[in-house]
Amino acid sequence: MRPSVLARLLAVLAAVAPLPAAELALTLTDAASAPVVDAVVSLHPLDAPVPAPGPAAEVEVVQSDGEFQPLVTPIRAGTRVRFPNADSIQHHVYSLSPAKRFDIPLHGGASAPAEEFPLPGVVSVGCNIHDWMRAYVVVLDTPWFALSSDAGLARLEAPAGRYRVEIWHYRVAKPDSYEVTLAETEPLAATRALVLRRNRRPARAPESGGGGYR
Amino acid sequence: MSFRVRVLLLLAGLIAAVLGVTLFVVNRSAESEAVAEVRQRFDRSAEILLQLIQRQNDQDAALATLLVADYAFKQAFAADVPTLESNLESLLLRSDADSIAVVLPEGNTLAARTLAGRVEIPSAFAPLVARADAAGAERADGFVWIGDELHAVVLVPLLAPDLVAWVGLGHRVGDKLAANLGQYSGLDVVFLRDGARVLALASTLAPGVTAEVARVRPAPAPEFPIATLAGERFLVAPTPLPELAQAGASVFVLSSLDARLAPTRRLQSRLLTAGCGLLAAALVVAFFFARSLTRPVGQLAAHTRLIAAGDYAARLDLRRGDELGELARAFNAMSTGLAERDRVRDLLDKNVSPEVAASLLRDGSALGGEEREVTVLFADLRGFTTLAEGLAPRDLVALLNRYLDRMSAEIEACGGVVDKYIGDEIMALFGAPVAAPDSADRAVRAALGMRAALAAFNRELAAEGRPPLAFGVGINTAHVVAGNIGSHRRLNYSVIGDGVNLAARLQPLTRRAEFATDIIISESTRAALRWKYRLRALGEITVKGKTEAAAIHAVDGPA
Repeated sequence: MRPSVLARLLAVLAAVAPLPAAELALTLTDAASAPVVDAVVSLHPLDAPVPAPGPAAEVEVVQSDGEFQPLVTPIRAGTRVRFPNADSIQHHVYSLSPAKRFDIPLHGGASAPAEEFPLPGVVSVGCNIHDWMRAYVVVLDTPWFALSSDAGLARLEAPAGRYRVEIWHYRVAKPDSYEVTLAETEPLAATRALVLRRNRRPARAPESGGGGYR
Repeated sequence: MSFRVRVLLLLAGLIAAVLGVTLFVVNRSAESEAVAEVRQRFDRSAEILLQLIQRQNDQDAALATLLVADYAFKQAFAADVPTLESNLESLLLRSDADSIAVVLPEGNTLAARTLAGRVEIPSAFAPLVARADAAGAERADGFVWIGDELHAVVLVPLLAPDLVAWVGLGHRVGDKLAANLGQYSGLDVVFLRDGARVLALASTLAPGVTAEVARVRPAPAPEFPIATLAGERFLVAPTPLPELAQAGASVFVLSSLDARLAPTRRLQSRLLTAGCGLLAAALVVAFFFARSLTRPVGQLAAHTRLIAAGDYAARLDLRRGDELGELARAFNAMSTGLAERDRVRDLLDKNVSPEVAASLLRDGSALGGEEREVTVLFADLRGFTTLAEGLAPRDLVALLNRYLDRMSAEIEACGGVVDKYIGDEIMALFGAPVAAPDSADRAVRAALGMRAALAAFNRELAAEGRPPLAFGVGINTAHVVAGNIGSHRRLNYSVIGDGVNLAARLQPLTRRAEFATDIIISESTRAALRWKYRLRALGEITVKGKTEAAAIHAVDGPA
C-alpha cells in the first residue's frame, strides 16, 4: 500500500515542527564496567499514548562475508526488513522466534522480498547452513529507541514525561526495565550496569578466524 | 617296631609331608595370585566403566548434534509439543539410544520419551542444565532416573540460532553396559539402585547371585572381602564412581574365586592322584628295599644263633657286593676262624690233657712256671720190644694205642693228667696243673686201676691169641716246677725237677725179681698218702745220679 500524498505531507510537517524534547543519555556497562555495545534502549511512555507509526519504513540486514550486518537492528513494529545477500554463496535465512517466524530458503543476491515485522519482540535470525551466523531484529512498539555505541552510550530524544526504560541485549537473560522522568531543561545522563550471560555462539571455521579443532 | 615298618612309615611320612606342603603352597599361591590379579582388574574397573559411559555419551552427543542441526527438527521444536514429541519418537527409532528428551534453557523438560513411550520427568535434567550453564559447556553429561531405570544421558544445545533448548539422548544403565564392562574388565558386574529399596539395575550374573549382592551390598574394604553368594565364593568390591554414587546408584565388580581357582583345583587333584601313585610306588619300592636289608640282617641273626649254638660249619651265602655282603663274608671268615680254633682246641685236648688245655686257655700260653707239690707217675710196658718183633708196625701202633687208651682212662679217672707218651712209656701228673692235696692217693689209686685195667686188657689179648703184656710203675711225690716249658713257637705244659727224675728211676726197679712188684712208690709218696694201702717196704736204694739212699715201697693192693 503506497502512502497517500497527504500522509507524506503530514509526516514532513511533523518532522519540521520543533516539538518540546527531552534527552536521555544512558551509558551501559557490564559487571566489569566495560561498555556494552549493541544494546537496545527503548522508551515507553507511561502517561501519553504512543504516537502512531509513520509510513512503513524498510531497513536491510545484509549477509556479507558469512555474517549478518548489522548484528542488532531495532525497528518500530510494522517496519519491513530486507535480507539482501552480498556473498557469492547462498544463505538460508530463517527465524523461529514467536514474534516473527519466517524462512527464506537458499537464495543469492538481493532477490528475496522484504519481510514485515508487525509484532513487537526479539526476533533471532539465523542461517540454516551457517550455524555461527545470527542477527537480532528487535521489534518495538515505540518510536523512541537507540542502539548503544562502542562506548556503550545510547542517546535518546523524546518529549518530556514519564517513561519506562527497557534495555535489551542478546546476552541478558531478561530485559532490564525501570521508570524515568524526562524533563526539557537538561539531558538526563545515567549509567546502567547489565548482567550479561556467557556468549553462546558456535565457532566459525579456522579460515574465518576459528581455532581448528576445539 | 621292625626296621621294615619303620622304613615304610618314614618314607610314607616324607612323601605325605612333601605332598601336603606342595598342595598347601599351590593352594596359597594360587589364591594370592588370583586375589592380586583380581585386585588389578578391580582397580581398573572404575576407569573402564567411565570410559565406556564416556564413549557412549560421545556417540550420543555426536548423533544428537546432527539431529538438532536438522532444520526440520528446529521447525518441529518451534511448532507444538505433540508435534515435537512425535518427532522425538521418530528420532529415537532412528538412533540406537534408549531415551530422548528436549529440555528448555531453564531446565524444565519440554518433552521426553523412551522406547516404551513418553515419560513425565519435568525436572530430571535441571541439575545437568544448571551445571552446563555455569560452565558454559557445549554439552552436559550425567545420569537421569526415568522411573526405575537409570540412563546415562548427554545434552547438546539446540540453536535456532540462539540456544533455545537442550536435546538429550540417553542409554540405559542395563545389562548391555554391564556385559561390556564385564568383557573389558574380565569381571562380573552388578549395578544397583541405592536407597530404601535396593534394586538390581543390571548384572552379568545369574539372578540368584545378583539378588544376593543387592541384599548384602558389600562395603568397601582395604582387603577384598570374600563373600559366599548363592553357594559360590566371590571376591567382591564396590567400584568407586562418584558420578554414579551422586545419582543414587552403585556398581559392584565381582570375580568368582571358585571359577578362578578351578584350574588350580584340577592341578591339585592331579597332584594328589600322582602323589598317591608315587606314594604307593614308593611303598612298594621301600618294601623291597627294606626287605633287601632286613632279610640278610635276619639271615645274619639266624647265622649268629647257629654260631652261638656251636655250628661253625654253616656258611652264609648272601652274594651281595655291598656292606652286608662284606659282613656276611666277615661272618664266614669268623666261622672259619672259630672252627679252626675249635679244631686246635680239640687237638690240644687230645694231645695235652683237658685240664692242661683249659689251664692254657684260661691263663694264656705264657712261658714260665710255678713251684708246687705234685705226684709224678711213670708207666713203662714190659716186653714191648718182643711184641714189636712179631707185629707189623701198623698193628703194633694199633695195639699200643689200645693199651695207652686204657691206661690213660685210668689216670684221668683219678684226676691225673697224661703229661706225655714217650714211646710205650706214659708220664702222668697228679696235682698239676690243678692243685690237689691228695695227689699221692690219686697216683696210687690210678696205678692200682691201671694194674686191673692191664689184667682185663690181657684177657682180651689172650682171647685174640696174643701174649700178655706187663708194665712197671714208678711213683714219686716232690716239689717241682710246673708250667709251660718250651720256646715261643712251641711249648708244652710239663713239670721239671729232681722228683721227676726219681719217679722215672723208680719205674725200672720193678724189673727186679726180688722186689716182686710192678708198682714202686718213694718214701715221700708214702708219707703223703692219706688212705691205707697194702704197702711193703723194699728197703733203701740209691738210684742212679743220686748219692743219698732213699726208702722205696711196693704197693700190693688197696687196704
